[in-house]
Amino acid sequence: MSGNSKLRRQWLRWRFHLSALLVLIPLGFMPQYFHEAKLDRGLRGLGEREIGNLQVGPWTARMAEWEVGEPEDEGRAGFVKAFTLAFCDSCSPQVKAAYLRIGQPRSLRAAGGLFAGTPHQQFAEVTIPARVTPADQLWLTVEGWDGAVHQAQIPLDQASPSLVAWLEKTRSNR
Amino acid sequence: MSKKSRSRLWFLVHSWLALPIWFFVFLVCITGTLATVSQEIVWLFDPAVRANAPDDDAPRLGYDQVLAAVAQQQPQAAVHMLSAPSESHFALLARVTYPDSSSAALYVNPYTGVIQGKVPLFDFRQFTRALHGWWLVPFTHGFSWGWYLVSLLGLPMLASLVTGLVVYKRFWRGFLKPTLRLRQGARIFWGDAHRLMGIWSIWFIAVIAITGTWFLIQAVLYDNAISISSEGVPTIIQRDSIPLSADGKAPPRIGLDAAVLSAQQRIPGLEPTFFRLPSSAYDPLHIFGKAWYPLMFESAQVNPYDGSVASTRLLGDRSGLEFVTESMRPLHTGDFGGVWVKLIWFVFGLILSMMVLSGLMIWSKRTLIATAKQLKQQKARERINVAATAETSQ
Amino acid sequence: MKAILKYSALLLGLAASASALAHAPFCECTALDADTIRCVGGFTDGSDAPGVTLDVMRAADNQVLMPGKLGADSSLTFKRPAEDFYILFDVGPGYQVEVEPSEIKGI
Repeated sequence: MSGNSKLRRQWLRWRFHLSALLVLIPLGFMPQYFHEAKLDRGLRGLGEREIGNLQVGPWTARMAEWEVGEPEDEGRAGFVKAFTLAFCDSCSPQVKAAYLRIGQPRSLRAAGGLFAGTPHQQFAEVTIPARVTPADQLWLTVEGWDGAVHQAQIPLDQASPSLVAWLEKTRSNR
Repeated sequence: MSKKSRSRLWFLVHSWLALPIWFFVFLVCITGTLATVSQEIVWLFDPAVRANAPDDDAPRLGYDQVLAAVAQQQPQAAVHMLSAPSESHFALLARVTYPDSSSAALYVNPYTGVIQGKVPLFDFRQFTRALHGWWLVPFTHGFSWGWYLVSLLGLPMLASLVTGLVVYKRFWRGFLKPTLRLRQGARIFWGDAHRLMGIWSIWFIAVIAITGTWFLIQAVLYDNAISISSEGVPTIIQRDSIPLSADGKAPPRIGLDAAVLSAQQRIPGLEPTFFRLPSSAYDPLHIFGKAWYPLMFESAQVNPYDGSVASTRLLGDRSGLEFVTESMRPLHTGDFGGVWVKLIWFVFGLILSMMVLSGLMIWSKRTLIATAKQLKQQKARERINVAATAETSQ
Repeated sequence: MKAILKYSALLLGLAASASALAHAPFCECTALDADTIRCVGGFTDGSDAPGVTLDVMRAADNQVLMPGKLGADSSLTFKRPAEDFYILFDVGPGYQVEVEPSEIKGI
């Protein structure tokens, strides 16, 4: 017992309190667990921030920003932001697919990220390559089962102010 | 090092592997034990989960009939997943969404199609899994640190097993001569109990420790974007494979039953347990089921427009490594062989928890006493020293 | 994304790649020299994309200049076109990566 460093003595004294601390962790996280359980049930609605109703050709859709804040860093795929969409009940059966892209799509083939999910809540991710500026627009391209293609645009600062804020912060040297 | 001190070293390592955090280890074992039968506990308490037949020879509904029944009872609900548990006393589970973007998991009776209830906000099964698996610490980006915390315990558990067997000389004798002395004091009782439970659960402790360590490896791989998957590129129905429609409405899609028949032609004997309905016009219908190997799923991706099987993932498609790694989770949870396997896992989970508890009992009775004795001796020696220096200084 | 990933992977005990959103496609292109470009494609979970379409497109009319597919090593090397172009890594509708000439590393 003699000749022990202070660190060793502290370890000997507090090691069992470590157990108590570890046990408290899940208790501390319980509120967040239930909050997330509620979010998973979609009880926060279409997304964290509703963007509003869009008119795309003959159809209307509600759109939302899934999570407010900075885009997610997906490593080699770059930065991505998720949006959600729900067409009106009578429109849904006529819509084949919807896509989302920052900037005007070049073609239908490369119209952006595909909206996928359930008819009441579809998810799409847009990538945010280096060319994107706060002045850009979000383009929604919708294909109908009849072959018709319609598009609508939303200015980025309306679609996601938090994304614009992030762009201004990180890409201000353009 | 002498044989005696080497033995002592192994013993010290064995006791130190669990002791400082023994309460945490104990709780992880208890929560895991509870999680193995969490589904059964829900079945006991919530009648909505049960698949009661109206009478003895009522046939089970086809999957299309189930979907039709759900649509009739809740026209606003859109089903995106359907689960048909292989344990037939459980009701079917249909995951749906509603126009207000909320979602629910509905229990559907497989004989009558009646929606019996839904999974409550406090999902006991999910809660026990989250508590045991990642200590309730949320996932933000990648695996939660709670997952790392719990899965790291797999390593000391494995070392504990090995050192324990080294310390217990000729442990195999314990199988033929089980000893449990009840009347010679707590210290002897706990020692006997620890050794007796230990040798009978060697296989289980090894399984849990190894599979638990796998969860750690799994998280490390995922968080470093290292994939060992041979699954290949996701199956997408390409644009030109989708029929055009003249009337502006979606082309008809085949029903689940027809899709199952189509899949069974490619995978003979496939018993579907799980469906993922297409999430977009380009997404196939995913059917999952088990073949002869109870630990892994096989799946077929069916083109919903023409019923052809676009791709499959069979047991033979997995690499040897994947065979091992994909078997890990079911071996850990014990949910691969119905309720009897779960009960075995439950009983041995209790035994494992008792191993941790009995280990502490032994330590407290033995080491505490020894430490107290040693401290007393040390104090006695110090008193002598003080007295001696007092004498010499005079 | 987290919710979908969590439910797909953990609660159901299935591979995490069950959801397309769980592993996003990427395409990285490098100029080996003034005339040659090499593109590597894959998914963010670490898996490869052999055999997936990688077309070099004419920027003026969005027609395919040079059709291609990634090799077994998940890459494709091709000659830099004379006209304005962009690269399209195409897994399927709505599941693509566009690479601009300015995003090509090297020159």
